[in-house]
Formats: sequence, structure tokens, C-alpha cells
Amino acid sequence: MVAESGISRGRAIIKRGKLIKIDASFREDRIEELKITGDFFLHPEEKIDELEKSLRGKSVKEIREVIERVLENAEYVGLSPDTLVEAVNQAWKRRN
Amino acid sequence: MELRVIFDKKNKAAWNMALDEAILMHLEELGPTLRFYGWFPPAVSIGYFQSMEEEIDLKKASELGVDVVRRLTGGGAVYHKYELTYSIVLPPPPGKILDSYRIVEKGIVNGLKALGVDAELSGINDIVVGGKKISGNAQTRRYGGMLQHGTLLMDVDVDEMFSLLKVPQEKMKDKMIKNVKERVTSLHNLGIDIEFEELQKIMGGGFKKALNAELYEENLPDKVLSQARKLEVEKYGSRKWNFKR
Repeated sequence: MVAESGISRGRAIIKRGKLIKIDASFREDRIEELKITGDFFLHPEEKIDELEKSLRGKSVKEIREVIERVLENAEYVGLSPDTLVEAVNQAWKRRN
Repeated sequence: MELRVIFDKKNKAAWNMALDEAILMHLEELGPTLRFYGWFPPAVSIGYFQSMEEEIDLKKASELGVDVVRRLTGGGAVYHKYELTYSIVLPPPPGKILDSYRIVEKGIVNGLKALGVDAELSGINDIVVGGKKISGNAQTRRYGGMLQHGTLLMDVDVDEMFSLLKVPQEKMKDKMIKNVKERVTSLHNLGIDIEFEELQKIMGGGFKKALNAELYEENLPDKVLSQARKLEVEKYGSRKWNFKR
């Protein structure tokens, strides 16, 4: 597959008791697409869609604020703002 | 509390998940409801946030005639074969969602106690015996109600389980299998071989005590069953839902 110019892809797998996987594509330093999967718990579950949606178009530097806002009243196990930030950063660093 | 109890049989994966959700949708008219069931054919369920293709070797599942389904609840992939599964639908108790997992999990702990097994809660969602996992549990809140379902391993075939599950690093697979064999137990491994139907009754007693409930057996109304049939076809039997992540 020929990579579209300016688009890179990265994947991160983080294990903190539970597993979090991030598959992301970036346009320059902004998140183009993002998928978060894993065996964690998040209540309410639909927050995951909100997270993915809210992170699109954001630069890697902006993600913490977005993640913390979306997860503000959520309950979670094996997933936290810190681990998510870490995972997105890892995907960013490992992009091809 | 009065708790309706349904001693169900072993069903197809999509039906089991559909019926759990249909009961949750009808909590108000059904009242608190506990259901025990099994899985036939055997099945792998994945957590709400997992990727079907990444968790399950779908070719192998198809070869072995194993069903696959995405749950309404979070957590990991589970191979359901030699196990008793419960689901319970209740009005949400006050307080944190994560704290409420154990209210229900105590039902399993009590049931195990009646079998002479000393079990304890571990983390949010596991029950362990001598440090080894025997039960996993998961919850969701929806339609104004709470649904928790969980497993109790009657026996376990770790090799078969790992033939169906994909692991992040294939070269680590042998090590992981060894690790899981050391960290998971079952009633059979504890020297308890009991009929599925008898186990349901004993676990029912465990929940009765944990929830301070009066149990009564009453079948589900047609309305709930037809809702479940709809969900079975349109949701849990669909590619759209099962492969949505």
C-alpha cells in the first residue's frame, strides 16, 4: 500500500493489569483516526466512542485535556487518562 | 427483595446475550431477575471494547463449531464451555458502579462456600480460590437498570481455549498458556464434579443469601422472549455488532 503523503500510522499496546491497544493514524501531528480496544472496563461504555470522536483532529499535545474532560464523570478499570495519554504518545512515537 | 430466578439450559451465544439484554430492558415489569445458563455450542464472548478479529482465531472457532459474540459488558475474551453462567438484573444500587460489582459477586462466593470452597473477591471483577481465578464478572448500566453477568468454571481446557484466542505476541503463547494454567482453577480441579442443574440450585442459594432475597421461579413473559429474539437476530447475531470494533 502506498502511504498517503503526510499520513502516518502507529500502534501501541499497554498493559496495566488490563490491556489497552491504540491504533492511530496521524496527519502531520494531528490524529486522523483512532481506535481504542482492550479488556478494560469503562462506565458508561459509550464514552469510548466519544473519546475516539473527540480526539480526532487534535494534536498529540492537546490530548490530555480532551481525555480528562471526556472521562470526567466516568468510572474505569485498567484504563485511565494517564494510560491513554501514554498509549497515544507511544503510538505517535512508533508511527511509520 | 423478591428475586425472580430462571434456571435455564445451555443456549446459543447470541440468544444468551440477547436474553440478558431483553431482561434488562424489562426490569421494571419483571422485577429483579436472576438467570443461570450455559452455552451450547461452546462459545467465545469478547468484551464490549475488544476487537473480534484480534481476539479470536475465527477460522479455528468455525472448525470447532464454536460460537462467537460480543458482550454488552467490558472485560476480556472468555471461552464458555464447562461453566455455569449467571446474569442478574437489578435496580442500580446507590454509590459507585465499580463498588457494586461485589454485591453480586458475593452470591458466587456464598455458593462456593456451600460447596465447601473458600473463595474470595480479587480486584473488581474476579473471584479466586487459593489465589487462582474461578470466576470472572462484568457489569453494565443501561435502560435505568444494572446487568451483571459472570462465569463459574466447572472445568477448564486451557489448551483448547488458547487454540481459539489470539495473543498479542505469538512467540509468548507457550509461556502464557503455562501462566494461565497456574493462575486459573475450576470446580473439577478442586475435586468437585457436580451436575449443571444441581450447581444452579446451589448458586441460587448463594445469591439468596448475598442479596437477602426471596427467590421465586417464574418464566419470562412472551414479550421479553420476543424482544430477545429480535436482539438475537438483529444485534448479537449480526456482523455489525460483533465486528464493530
